Amino acid sequence: MLLAVLIANSEGNILVERFNGVPAEERLHWRSFLVKLGVDNLRGVKNEELLVANHKSVYIVYTVLGDVSIFVVGKDEYDELALSEAIFVITSALKDVCGKPPTERLFLDKYGKICLCLDEIVWKGLLENTDKDRIKRLIRLKPPTDF
Amino acid sequence: MAQPLVKKDDDRDEEADYSPFLGIEKGAVLQEARVFNDPQLDARRCSQVITKLLYLLNQGDSFTKVEATEVFFAVTKLFQSRDNGLRRMVYLIIKDLSPSADEVIIVTSSLMKDMNSRTDMYRANAIRVLCRITDGTLLTQIERYLKQAIVDKNPVVASAALVSGIHLLQTTPEIVKRWSNEVQEAVQSRAALVQFHALALLHQIRQNDRLAVSKLVTSLTKGTVRSPLAQCLLIRYTSQVIRETAVNSQTGDRPFYDYLESCLRHKAEMVIFEAAKAITELSNVTTRELTPAITVLQLFLSSSKPVLRFAAVRTLNKVAMTHPMAVTNCNIDMESLISDQNRSIATLAITTLLKTGNESSVDRLMKQITNFMSDIADEFKIVVVEAIRSLCLKFPLKYRSLMNFLSNILREEGGFEYKKAIVDSIVILIRDIPDAKESGLLHLCEFIEDCEFTYLSTQILHFIGNEGPKTSDPSKYIRYIYNRVILENATVRASAVSTLAKFGALVDSLKPRIFILLRRCLFDNDDEVRDRATLYLNSLGDGSVAETDKDVKEFLFGSLDIPLTNIETTLRNYEQNPTEEPFDINSVPREVKSLPLVEKKAPGKKPTALGGLPPSPTSASDAYERLLSSIPEFADFGKLFKSSVPVELTEAETEYAVNVVKHIFDHHVVFQYNCTNTIPEQLLENVTVIVDASEADEFSEVGVKPLKSLPYDTPAQTFVVFEKAEGVPAVGKFSNTLRFTVKEVDTSTGEAEDDGVEDEYQLEDFEVVAADYILKVGVSNFRNAWESMDPDTEHIDEYGLGPRESLVEAVNAVISLLGMQPCEGTETVPSNSRSHTCLLSGVYIGNVKVLVRLSFGMDAAKEVAMKLAVRSDDVNVSEAIHEIVASG
Repeated sequence: MLLAVLIANSEGNILVERFNGVPAEERLHWRSFLVKLGVDNLRGVKNEELLVANHKSVYIVYTVLGDVSIFVVGKDEYDELALSEAIFVITSALKDVCGKPPTERLFLDKYGKICLCLDEIVWKGLLENTDKDRIKRLIRLKPPTDF
Repeated sequence: MAQPLVKKDDDRDEEADYSPFLGIEKGAVLQEARVFNDPQLDARRCSQVITKLLYLLNQGDSFTKVEATEVFFAVTKLFQSRDNGLRRMVYLIIKDLSPSADEVIIVTSSLMKDMNSRTDMYRANAIRVLCRITDGTLLTQIERYLKQAIVDKNPVVASAALVSGIHLLQTTPEIVKRWSNEVQEAVQSRAALVQFHALALLHQIRQNDRLAVSKLVTSLTKGTVRSPLAQCLLIRYTSQVIRETAVNSQTGDRPFYDYLESCLRHKAEMVIFEAAKAITELSNVTTRELTPAITVLQLFLSSSKPVLRFAAVRTLNKVAMTHPMAVTNCNIDMESLISDQNRSIATLAITTLLKTGNESSVDRLMKQITNFMSDIADEFKIVVVEAIRSLCLKFPLKYRSLMNFLSNILREEGGFEYKKAIVDSIVILIRDIPDAKESGLLHLCEFIEDCEFTYLSTQILHFIGNEGPKTSDPSKYIRYIYNRVILENATVRASAVSTLAKFGALVDSLKPRIFILLRRCLFDNDDEVRDRATLYLNSLGDGSVAETDKDVKEFLFGSLDIPLTNIETTLRNYEQNPTEEPFDINSVPREVKSLPLVEKKAPGKKPTALGGLPPSPTSASDAYERLLSSIPEFADFGKLFKSSVPVELTEAETEYAVNVVKHIFDHHVVFQYNCTNTIPEQLLENVTVIVDASEADEFSEVGVKPLKSLPYDTPAQTFVVFEKAEGVPAVGKFSNTLRFTVKEVDTSTGEAEDDGVEDEYQLEDFEVVAADYILKVGVSNFRNAWESMDPDTEHIDEYGLGPRESLVEAVNAVISLLGMQPCEGTETVPSNSRSHTCLLSGVYIGNVKVLVRLSFGMDAAKEVAMKLAVRSDDVNVSEAIHEIVASG
């Protein structure tokens, strides 16, 4: 299960969060844990350079893209490699939507589209679409080109 | 002209920082949402409003029931618009609003219309939304369309239906299971993702049908799997099938191993890693099978991608626990990872190296770790400290450099958990490696000179009080202890006073000087410190209360034989009912209500740390000793020699869970049956175990202690006592039946009926074996210990152990037969070796020290021969060990 996708700005404020199968009372804990992880480790990291951590049986892969940091959390079949696949899809979709690694302003400008992209990529904790061109078409309700 | 230009630039900068959602307010957005009701819909405006709603929801704002309903109804109007972008937004916001069951009905017709729409994308999205908000009743209506969608030629529609199926399987499995033909067809799809989702769903539908899973795996491993993700799933299912099928006994080949091995050459890293991981997790994996997997993992170690490095080192770390020798080839690559930017990777690399390293590399490794420790977080440091502790227990001769390392990091900055881990490690090393005792105690003394944690200071003082007086020069510790009385807070001062008293009681030469120090404490400004000082001065013989020396030691070092929780409840009751009479400690019940915590730990795990440490050697046996001594019937059995780990007598998840602990005394054996009643509707009374000892003729039953009542989910014990000849290691097999009176319980009131029915419950058999009479006690330097024993007690013989799968198996079999402590890491057998020497040490019943040297050899036909040399304090015991092996 992909437990969470969380996007924060450089000060650690949450921009988007999507939890799946995480009880409401644990979300606050995860939120602050992830933000702290980012503050501790993401300074000076290059765009899209992946960092990884694990906490008990849960894996976390995270990175920066422009002004935002992106975290994905998974367990069981979503181990670090599956998560790196997921985060790759997310970063490429973000770059596609924003045209470049986004500033916070740009990210918020494209907020609606970004929500749609995340909706196409992760659906209730399962990875659904992985190709950025297809996602680009799907969020505009265009059928994919490859069939 | 220059001025305004600059100003304009400034403006632009400010604009760049300005958030489009600045000052957004829920009330205003809800007002804006009225545009959804306009007869002429402005698609762009509506999209913007939905975006704002999404932003609010994502920021954790919540809508009241009325607000949510209002927005939801307004949103449904947007189905009239033909604008694609807006429609896509509508689907998303409906999912995020997650309407309640009575509102869903409003959109279902629109969504069902979309589900049959000619536009593929409407179909896909409608399926996803419907499955998100629908319940079982509606599902039967749309099932037909979903089945069609699974085999839709548009991959997006098929995937949407399949992923919905995966979710619906959790809530309405009976419906989704009917789709397996369509899903089966989708598994053959040419679209990569459809295949991936179909495979996941098909496996979930059939996961309880082993044959079906096996068939699925067989057909797919031969066919083509298009996406790497699906391939990874297939590898996981394959290893599940491998686990459930036996190895071909004739060729020794494992089914599907070739498939896993071929995946190691796949072009996607994800697949390669998954296959390598699957291979390392095979049960009883051989070196031949392991080698190719380790090779690819080794390549990953030097990958430029941190995720791959992490994955590889994490897997190798696990392999190192079972096959340390197989990982040694990667040591050089792993050493370079110590300086990895990513601290998780570096820590895993270090702990792996600590497991695979040999004695000669310890010093070099420690040097590298010292540099590394300064820049990692506490939680990583704790992992390293724990790894170092086990390394030290494995190579006791290296205790000096490892102990130095621990004392160095103890002086550096760090939080409580980290410091506690270090102190615990030092305590365990002192306990297990006698040579390390003096230096270890001094390190602890130095630590409390500048320790900010009261808890740790008091625990260390307690420990010094028990161990310090037994060292060669106890006087050197006094200075550190008395400094605490001068410098610390009241809690620590009180502990220090107790510690001083312990030195006074055990070391006669120090007694007069201790008295001087204790008398100074009489002027302390804290009550507890003064009280303790007065008490100890009197009990040690300075005052009027003259007690025997034995009483004093019993008072200072003896364990409190009453459970603390019982004292607490009795004292509370005493406080609530004021009375003239003084509190009587004898009024506290001595029966332990629930099981001691230690039994929940994995068997064979080392007792850890200060918490349960005090007087006796292990916390488990301490808890048992307390429990047994609290029962008057067992009081005159003498000292408890050994308690076994609990042996389960029932299978998991049965009505009654029972396990037995064998307590060995000189003249008696006590079986402690730990019983748990797992049925809420039952209360068991008069619980006993009827033991049939017809296959244990050296034992005779002398007593039973029944259990009065066993309510639901409250573990309790019943005992059966057997007598045997003194000091004789009698063995035998015991059959058991649980007998009890069962009463029905009304779960709403918790009251039991008055009448009960007698019933019995069959338990598994268990045996008392020779190993029950040998204590696992290690020695730090086996060679010295061996040579210091009288060579005349040595008894050597050779044995054939017959054909064995590997030397490991033979070595483990002998170790568990004898139940002795392996020394110097010799229980680990290099994976492809044909000969091995294993050193064991222990204490035989009657407190006789025994050392064993086992030499194994294996010939080409896998026949194992063993030479057994035993030395002990008593030549009869040496022979007894040989008898155990000969009859085992």
